[in-house]
Amino acid sequence: MSHEVLGFDVTADALLEKAKRDGAETMWDRKAAMKASCGFGEKGICCKNCSMGPCRISPVEGKGAQKGICGATADTIVARNFARTVAAGVSSHSDHARDIIHVLHMASEDGNYKVKNPEKLMKLAKEWEVDTEGKEIYQIAHEVAEVALMEFGKPFGTQRFIKRAPEPRQKIWKDLNIEPRAIDREVATILHSTHIGCTSEVDSLMDMSMRTSLSNGWGGSMMGTEFTDIVFGTPTARSTEANLGVIEENMVNILLHGHDPSFSEMVVLAAEDPELMKLAKDNGAEGINLVGMCCTGNEVTMRHGVKIAGNFYQQEMAIVTGAMEAVLVDVQCIYPALPKLAECYHTKFIATSPKAKMEGATYIEFNEEHALDITKKIVREAILNYKNRDRTKVMIPQQKSKAMLGYSVETIIDHLDKVVNSQTDVFETVKPLSDVIWAGVIRGAAGIVGCNNPKVQHDNSHITIMKELIKNDIIVVTTGCAAQAAAKAGLLTMEAKELAGRGLREVCERVGIPPILHMGSCVDISRILDLVSRVSKERGLDNSNLPVVGVAPEWMSEKAVGIGTYVVSSGIDTFLGITPQVTGSARFVDILTNQLEDKVGAKFFFEEDPTVCAQKIMERIEEKRDRLGI
Amino acid sequence: MSLFEIIYTGSNAALGLAQQTVADAIKEKGKDHKVAFPGTAYSLPVIYAATGIKIATLGELEGALGVVKSLIVEEEDMGKALNAGLATAVSAEIIEGVRYALSEDPYKNETGIGFVPDSIIRSLGVPLVTGDIPGIAVIIGESSDKDSLGTIVKDYQSKGLLTFLVGNVIDQVVEAEVKVGLEFRVIPLGNQITSVIHVVSVAVRAALIFGALKPGDLSGLLNYTKERVPAFINTFGPLNEVVVSCGAGAIALGFPVIADTDVPEVPGALLSQKDHNETVRTSLEARNIKIKIKELPIPVSYASAFEGERIRKDT
Ligand code: SF4
Ligand code: SF4
Repeated sequence: MSHEVLGFDVTADALLEKAKRDGAETMWDRKAAMKASCGFGEKGICCKNCSMGPCRISPVEGKGAQKGICGATADTIVARNFARTVAAGVSSHSDHARDIIHVLHMASEDGNYKVKNPEKLMKLAKEWEVDTEGKEIYQIAHEVAEVALMEFGKPFGTQRFIKRAPEPRQKIWKDLNIEPRAIDREVATILHSTHIGCTSEVDSLMDMSMRTSLSNGWGGSMMGTEFTDIVFGTPTARSTEANLGVIEENMVNILLHGHDPSFSEMVVLAAEDPELMKLAKDNGAEGINLVGMCCTGNEVTMRHGVKIAGNFYQQEMAIVTGAMEAVLVDVQCIYPALPKLAECYHTKFIATSPKAKMEGATYIEFNEEHALDITKKIVREAILNYKNRDRTKVMIPQQKSKAMLGYSVETIIDHLDKVVNSQTDVFETVKPLSDVIWAGVIRGAAGIVGCNNPKVQHDNSHITIMKELIKNDIIVVTTGCAAQAAAKAGLLTMEAKELAGRGLREVCERVGIPPILHMGSCVDISRILDLVSRVSKERGLDNSNLPVVGVAPEWMSEKAVGIGTYVVSSGIDTFLGITPQVTGSARFVDILTNQLEDKVGAKFFFEEDPTVCAQKIMERIEEKRDRLGI
Repeated sequence: MSLFEIIYTGSNAALGLAQQTVADAIKEKGKDHKVAFPGTAYSLPVIYAATGIKIATLGELEGALGVVKSLIVEEEDMGKALNAGLATAVSAEIIEGVRYALSEDPYKNETGIGFVPDSIIRSLGVPLVTGDIPGIAVIIGESSDKDSLGTIVKDYQSKGLLTFLVGNVIDQVVEAEVKVGLEFRVIPLGNQITSVIHVVSVAVRAALIFGALKPGDLSGLLNYTKERVPAFINTFGPLNEVVVSCGAGAIALGFPVIADTDVPEVPGALLSQKDHNETVRTSLEARNIKIKIKELPIPVSYASAFEGERIRKDT
């Protein structure tokens, strides 16, 4: 097997060689075994929504089957599949949010979960018109949480947070009838409408996809972020390190992988427990080394500076180092292959969520009632496993980079305040950001998000696009595995400003920020929506007027499709570095990459070559500037 | 027009004017005619500091036009826009150079003093380093209200700042009965916008003299002026393209520009402050100039006005 595809990441080659020696199977082996992927699936023209099928439509127009047995055309099948993908993505994010809201609902003065950010809670209570008069903070917390929980299944009305969008945007949603109603309802409606013999009208399926996705961006994800900040604190700027080199030779290494901060935050607490720290020492280790991966890694690094072991594609490699005492997972983006892989080493693979029980894993159910006790028990297991490490099988790549992160909207605004002249302007706004964009000092902004995907060279698209954009004075904000790629590449440092163009460099120096701002996990893309909308409102414009884009260079998950769709529906052009499975319908492709612009003022761009993609992004940004006359 | 387009328009206009001026002068005096500013060892200081080249004749000045041209690259890019601003500065120096080449004292009929000789700059060195001169205000244009302009200049004066005047503000300040002259730290330069180069020339020679900067080290020069020369610009009245492009040159040197009209604001660099009562405070804050209150023989009211001035948060 050739590892050429990994040439970009110096840690990968050696570890994959090692995996081979250790008899461990990785995604590259499985990718090779997969051979060429199925052309019908690739194009989205395979349907198995009923047992008359599976049906597949000939990719050649006018030749072979042009319709499914029920008569569904390629257009309908592609649009239905797309809608279901959106629904799945939306459910993942929203279910994640539901859990954290439950956590706030059970928070108490002396419980495991507290209200760490009462100001943010009070602000939200005010925004949602929850009466706070004479109530103590936990009562308010419970009431706000209850209101939030209703957002998932309320019988009437639309998502509360859509009011945060600029007014012209709200109007577009209203006119198109895509204002998101209850989250679960939108998901269920898609599943209903994509059932055999229901919706076949392609535009309607697209509208439903947009409405459902909006229930995530302006519903589930936004609540997820908001409530996580309330319970665990709003992230502030801090430094950390990233890449597999953060795994320590002489410590108990614990990998946190998944998404749910209510679990990972407790693990952070448990790992700081003096008794457990002592236990680690008694077992011959120098201490406990907690490292993160994927979005749960982002959550704990944003709030505690927990080191980042890596992003999505490195999840197997972290185990192949042979130095991982335990892998603790909750939900989402966790390879089912991991438990088996862990068996090649001493690594304990522990699944904790009833929503993601995994074949071959040790299952220790996490429940919020006994959060700290359970996580302590789990950490103890990891510590006791230290002695089982086979030192002959350990190989930790020595690569790691420093990174600055923690840039929540609040923290960004705090930094912007540094350049506010107290005589001419007010503090605590995004005006400085909007000013430098309008003056042309920076050309625009790009949110670079998403996963890794073995279809492209890992991290290469993320990094290529980021470097190209900052060089051309486009400020980048990032989340998810894209952010972790940036961290590993050293782009989240103050020094990285040297890679930026003159204008952006100047901004970085004056504001005291790196040219690329890590804004958190995938649900935290809601922070980006918030930031963009604030700039729109500052200028009395709509999001679609701004020279701002979203980019998912190496996306892979259904969540990413859900995200891309709500970003476009929010008026922000979105560039996809992996072509989605829709090319079997020229009409649907035209909707995504063309017609949507007439409807929502933004559209998708598909471009797999990262250099060309960066070029197209810059052209689009200049086009938007020209339209604004700036 | 985008801000950068305005800058390029101004830079090109200044270049055109410089080309014309040099061509006319050569026609009249020939290429070998001598060019020099009085009382300086630094030739044409801006060109010398930026390129390391000393200009001695009109012919060589013609060559310097090439430098200007090369600095104007019309792309929507901040670095290039700042370079175009520097180009305007060089054009201005070329035009002023020609004025001195054609006349013994081109400023003899003006209130402005024109070129500032080395000796004055040397005398300013110590008070600048000690903070006795806490800042340099450059006032350009024509104010809608000469009284508030006078108050502003007096305010700078009382705080020990050195103020340079360019344009009709000179006459306005005189009418407002502000005492001008080096001893009062208020120096009228000239009525035309190109005279602004004589204060740029002061900053540039400060870098050469006190910063021991090597001529030709442009980035070192810009760094020095940004870090060490506490200057800022106040513009009054409507701005034309050339003034905006001059402003870009100031920003390239690290000097913030505070206009009293609407401008596309750039935090910390290009601000709009329409309230003349706030011009001073806005400017000092923009250049991060703190006044050493005790050392100045000024009324207490000034000192108290500055208490609690730093209200920004530290993040
Ligand atoms: S829903 Fe229609 S296209 Fe899909 S499998 Fe059934 S018959 Fe075939
Ligand atoms: S960016 Fe993609 S791979 Fe990474 S955690 Fe988010 S959804 Fe999963």
